[in-house]
Amino acid sequence: MLAGAGGLFTERVGIFNIGIEGAMLIGAMAAIWGSLVTGNIILATLFAMLIGGLVALLHAYLTITRRADQIVSGAAINLFALGITNLLNAPLYAGFEYRPRVEAFPIIAPEALQEIPFIGPILFAQPVIVWVAFAIPLVLAWVLYRTSWGLNIRAVGDHPHAVATAGISVVRLKYAGVIMSGLFAGLGGAALSLADIGLFAPNMTAGRGFAVLAAFVVGKWNPILVAGAAIMFGAAQAFQLRGQTLGLAIPYQLFVMLPYLLTIAALAGLVGRTVAPKTVGKKYDPETI
Amino acid sequence: VKERRAIVLPVLGELILTGGRPILAIALAMIAGAFLIIAYGKNPIEAYAAMLEGAIGSKAALANTGVRTAPLLIGGLAIAFGFKAGLLNVGVEGQIYAGGAAAAAVGITPLPVPGWLHVTLAIVAGFIGGALWGVIPALLKAYRGVSEIVITLMLNYVGIQFASLLVHEPSPLALKDSFFPQSPNILPAARLPILIKGTSLHAGLIIGLILAILIYLALRYTPFGFRTKMTGQNPEAARYAGINVKKQIIIVMLISAGLGGLVGTGEVLGLKWALYDYFAVGLGYDSIAVALMANTNPLGVILSSVFFGALRAGAGKMQVAVGIETPIAQVIQAIAVLFVIAIGFGERVRIANQVKKQELEQEAVAHGG
Repeated sequence: MLAGAGGLFTERVGIFNIGIEGAMLIGAMAAIWGSLVTGNIILATLFAMLIGGLVALLHAYLTITRRADQIVSGAAINLFALGITNLLNAPLYAGFEYRPRVEAFPIIAPEALQEIPFIGPILFAQPVIVWVAFAIPLVLAWVLYRTSWGLNIRAVGDHPHAVATAGISVVRLKYAGVIMSGLFAGLGGAALSLADIGLFAPNMTAGRGFAVLAAFVVGKWNPILVAGAAIMFGAAQAFQLRGQTLGLAIPYQLFVMLPYLLTIAALAGLVGRTVAPKTVGKKYDPETI
Repeated sequence: VKERRAIVLPVLGELILTGGRPILAIALAMIAGAFLIIAYGKNPIEAYAAMLEGAIGSKAALANTGVRTAPLLIGGLAIAFGFKAGLLNVGVEGQIYAGGAAAAAVGITPLPVPGWLHVTLAIVAGFIGGALWGVIPALLKAYRGVSEIVITLMLNYVGIQFASLLVHEPSPLALKDSFFPQSPNILPAARLPILIKGTSLHAGLIIGLILAILIYLALRYTPFGFRTKMTGQNPEAARYAGINVKKQIIIVMLISAGLGGLVGTGEVLGLKWALYDYFAVGLGYDSIAVALMANTNPLGVILSSVFFGALRAGAGKMQVAVGIETPIAQVIQAIAVLFVIAIGFGERVRIANQVKKQELEQEAVAHGG
């Protein structure tokens, strides 16, 4: 889920991608498959990213080259992802007598942090992917704000024609942004299936791809803030599971709703000001100004 | 050669784009599906034959197709209607639960009224429940210019969780000591009538068909329809023409959300006979595909929803007969939509060229004069 935050590149280039959900789902399955075939968790993760990137490439082709409606394309991709993963779930394990648990991400628990009483073992013993997920937003923020390529990406989302005038290919940047979102959605999917359970379950993403879209808004399209928002959403979901077992007086459904309500409040201008990249959702036509 | 192409292509394009585009896309998707079935190690002809039999082969099959068509039809109308005013209501998924919950609340309450009135009241409640879910996006869009897409999308989860909250104790709508979280059963008087005895085909399909015709007529022949289309096509021009664009956006969004609520109403009053949590996963997103296949034409929505409904109904039979699992229907559906939007490119280029030509002509006239 954290890794999905990298997906904001797509909106930075002005393409709305609700297909992130689908790319995550397919990525989650690809990770398991990659792990079954290669037995190597790094290769499996890279495979998941590759597949996620391919799904995004389809979205990019349809919305940028074919100028299709971005929502419709994303919705179709989600439907496709749901169908194809359900269809392949049984054959995935064909040839195995029982469903093997694939190797999950190893847990890394730094010694120093373990010594913090109480919260140490709870908070700081995490699968390696979680540590990676913390690093990624920092790297992406650096790319977006400190490199010229990042500047171009940001500019394309706000003023594509200015970028075109500067002699830089708008289409290529848009493709890059959307594909980035797919790569990280695939990584997010891998994080989901390869962290602790090591299994693929039908529709296991369960709306996380949409939560990522909400995180963009709350995080004001800044990788670090988006990651922060994603952590908060993740905490709300984790709390939902805990709350159910603890039998709290407050219904868990309220916690699940909270992130979405917060997003709506943010968009309504109740919580600070959020400014989306100007051309999100719009088609880019080189000939109209 | 170039000239000949210039004459032949537009004519051919016209044919393909009007009625042919979705049909071509469906054909391509079926072919893609056939390859998938072959990859699965099965015979595609056998598989499709089983699918056809499961969709239209018997009275039960037809009824099954009808049951699956009804929600897609109403949902497709909700999205198609919103689209005419330039609104993309991605929130049907959540409106289903809001409408279903409201309909259930009326449907489980004993009322001292005749049966036909009770069911009517429950339907109206369902529409209002869905419309309530449209209030926030409608107001934000009209007065703040906030995209309705993100807001309706976010409200989906609020709707789903809200319904889940309602069927868990201690909610007054929850059935006490039930094994599954659910509401008490809808009273017989408030259920939608069954159309064919011995099947589960209910009047939701009729409601959908009537709505499709009403919406088609309203858009085409009434001032309200004209205002709606103007708002969608050119809000600036609509404003100059004296149309209250804000009001129009609000009304259309509320109706679209209300129709979304009716999808849930039909399922609760006609098929499930109680409110459950997660009772209709994915119907809202499928509705987008249905509306798009029909190019947002209300009468076209009838055809595309029947196609999708038949696909789903037939997939069950295919699973039993040939052993291919039902999600194949989703895959074929998704591929069909992807083909529709991929083919749609030509149309946009054509329109863009026409506009450019007109502009050039106008310019020429201006310079000449």
